[in-house]
Amino acid sequence: MRNLKFKKEKPIRLNQLGLLAVLIILYVLFGILTPIIKPGSNFFQFNRVLSALNYGYFIGFLALGVTFVISTGGIDFSIGPVMFASALIAGQCLTHYKLPLWLCLFISCLVGLLFGVINGYMVAYRFLPSFVTSMASMQIAKGLGSVFTKTQSVTWPALGDDNSNSWFRYLVKYKSIPTGLIVFFLIAIICGFFLFRTKPGRYILSIGSNKEAVRLSGVSTQKWEMLAFVICGLFAGIAAIFYAGAYATVQPGLGDSFNNEAIAACVMGGTSMLGGKASVFGTVVGALIIALLQEGILAFGFSISYQYVLTGLIVLGAVIIDARKHKKIV
Amino acid sequence: MGDEMNEVILSMKSIDKQFPGVKALDNVDLEVRSGEVLALMGENGAGKSTLMKILTGIYTRDAGTIEYFGKEIEFSNTKEAQDAGIVIVHQELQMISHLTVAQNIFVGREYKNGVIIDDHKMNEEAKKLFDVFEIDINPSENMGNLTVGSQQLCEIAKAISFDAKVIVFDEPTAALTEHEIQHLFTIIKNLKERGLGIVYISHRMNEVEEITDRVTVLRDGMYAGTVITKDSSKDEIINLMVGRTIFEEPKQKSNVSEDAPMVLEVENLTAGTMVKDVSFYLRKGEILGFSGLMGAGRTETARAIFGADPQESGIIKLNGEEVNINSPTDAVKLGIGYLSEDRKRYGLMLDKNLYENMTLASLDNFVKSSVIESSKEKEVSQEHVDLLRVRTPGINQIVENLSGGNQQKVVIAKWLIANSDILIFDEPTRGIDVGAKQEIYELINTLIKEGKSIIMISSELQEILRMSDRIVVMCEGRKTGELSIEEATQENIMHLATKRD
Repeated sequence: MRNLKFKKEKPIRLNQLGLLAVLIILYVLFGILTPIIKPGSNFFQFNRVLSALNYGYFIGFLALGVTFVISTGGIDFSIGPVMFASALIAGQCLTHYKLPLWLCLFISCLVGLLFGVINGYMVAYRFLPSFVTSMASMQIAKGLGSVFTKTQSVTWPALGDDNSNSWFRYLVKYKSIPTGLIVFFLIAIICGFFLFRTKPGRYILSIGSNKEAVRLSGVSTQKWEMLAFVICGLFAGIAAIFYAGAYATVQPGLGDSFNNEAIAACVMGGTSMLGGKASVFGTVVGALIIALLQEGILAFGFSISYQYVLTGLIVLGAVIIDARKHKKIV
Repeated sequence: MGDEMNEVILSMKSIDKQFPGVKALDNVDLEVRSGEVLALMGENGAGKSTLMKILTGIYTRDAGTIEYFGKEIEFSNTKEAQDAGIVIVHQELQMISHLTVAQNIFVGREYKNGVIIDDHKMNEEAKKLFDVFEIDINPSENMGNLTVGSQQLCEIAKAISFDAKVIVFDEPTAALTEHEIQHLFTIIKNLKERGLGIVYISHRMNEVEEITDRVTVLRDGMYAGTVITKDSSKDEIINLMVGRTIFEEPKQKSNVSEDAPMVLEVENLTAGTMVKDVSFYLRKGEILGFSGLMGAGRTETARAIFGADPQESGIIKLNGEEVNINSPTDAVKLGIGYLSEDRKRYGLMLDKNLYENMTLASLDNFVKSSVIESSKEKEVSQEHVDLLRVRTPGINQIVENLSGGNQQKVVIAKWLIANSDILIFDEPTRGIDVGAKQEIYELINTLIKEGKSIIMISSELQEILRMSDRIVVMCEGRKTGELSIEEATQENIMHLATKRD
């Protein structure tokens, strides 16, 4: 009895290289399965990769943004609809009010930022749960986008129809070079640096660990908690530009499903829903996995609904692993 | 008791329990007999509460057996333990303040009329229960309106109402007046006559002598021995408790000269319901002890000074100048550090490493145009790990994996790195084992030599008498007295601590 050994609980860790391996394995798997399930189609085509990446960028930006909020222990369910509101409002300014393109891109970021400010203020200064706050702003964003466009869809200019107004598409793709990937990686690197090497980033992660202890150490926690939401909102605005750059038409009243995909990417990448722990690299790979799944399912010829099921399962799985990993041993 | 051995109704054997970074219990035995009161003694952190939490299903044990009325048992939650007749009266009251007394007593097993809760019936049942033990409390009163002492009686009544066979009292007298203590003892004697087994956890030697039959002592998570109360002297029991460690004498005289400058003056501070018109001062290089019972308002006073809770009125002066402290940020800038009684909740980020915790209060000093200078941060943290002798594999270690004493050192390091001149230690040795406690005391004395000034809130009279140069005593939110270390004794502190209006 006395020699009883204590079981050291081994944390289950989908470590970061492991996640990269998952991405590669998935790609190969889709490549092998596609011709079997849907004869005649080939997954190992550059077009497939480009199309997957198009889907990956905006999910990726949403996921990067929400990484900051989740790091504080909060959540933002408004990012998808806010992205749509940004794309609709900015698009309407461009096509209907004929504002210059650079101003419209700025407006897109500004709309996202404003939603971030509202969410952040309500959570940090009015002490509302982020869950409730972001649910409310999700509804507002959905409605606002529709009101602004009078429930019409907005079509951003494609390359060729009006050259002066379509250069923003080069942000996503230049001829067949996926320039978006470079922009995405660059911004991700900046995010990682900001979160792990700067004072605001350190405070954001600290708040996620123990907000009250951080406050009692003399840190103005409200300011930094709000900042996380503001960054998240700004990224929804940036994501809107990449959505518009990849798909021409933006329809009002949509966007909820992208919340879940972005949060899935984030949690799958190792950012803890409990706050305090984040991985920007994980978020990037997570977003690419989500994009690959979407493309794979399309390549199989299955309906998009399967993707919803799959994303739901991924969120569930990632959260279970997260909870196991951070389970308090009592 | 006479000579007849009462029947053993509960026996715990070879109990082990490991927490991250600390072995809380190591091969501990305990035996409870019917119709007797067993004292469970030991220093803070000796494992008494942990053992009782294992008994009542709050924690699960890692090894060992529990036998109860001849059968081996295993409770996975408190409900199962309650149903079997083992209940605990907690040190911290677990009452819901907006419910009535009766609703609290029957919470989770309410009397019902169909689906409607039958308050009338619950009040009647509570009244019957109170009558048996001559408790004079109105069952339909809101719990929040009662004094701490009355709430304690309700908690006890609740425990009894489970048709208990074994009742554990975890430091029940910590917040009671002398009169209330005597009432409690009458109740305990009554329970004993009914053949219940009582476990009585306490630090107070005179109570143990008065009420208990046997004493089981734990030391550093290990079983130190069991003695018959009436056949043993105080010294024997203390020896069992402290073992190898030296039992230190109280401080004889203040180390602070009369003309030492005042670093902190608090005048007529009022905040919330727990701080009423409190005034005191702190001299440079002084350890000012804050004594009082649980709920006396000492922590609340500290939090108000530190800006953690809003102040309603009063003046705070630092080095003779009036200052405004509206948030902890203000306090930290002015050189005040607060070490909370609950370091896990208010002091540490348990899932972060040592250096991130240590630099949290002074990150600005480690930042160049917003970017953290990581090498400087690690260097200073490592220096403090060495200085405070924090036992850790390295500064990258997660704080959760350290023992209580070493966690406390991390908090102290945080305030040293922030260069605080005034440190408020709130229960600095709570939940810390005996050896580490000694180290914390030495550390506090070193800080004083370096010119810091310290307020030390403590519920342990021995600690107060040993460390303080001067003692402020509080009761129910008011300062009820101030004693120089020369005149202070356990008795006159207790007298002031129970001096209610």
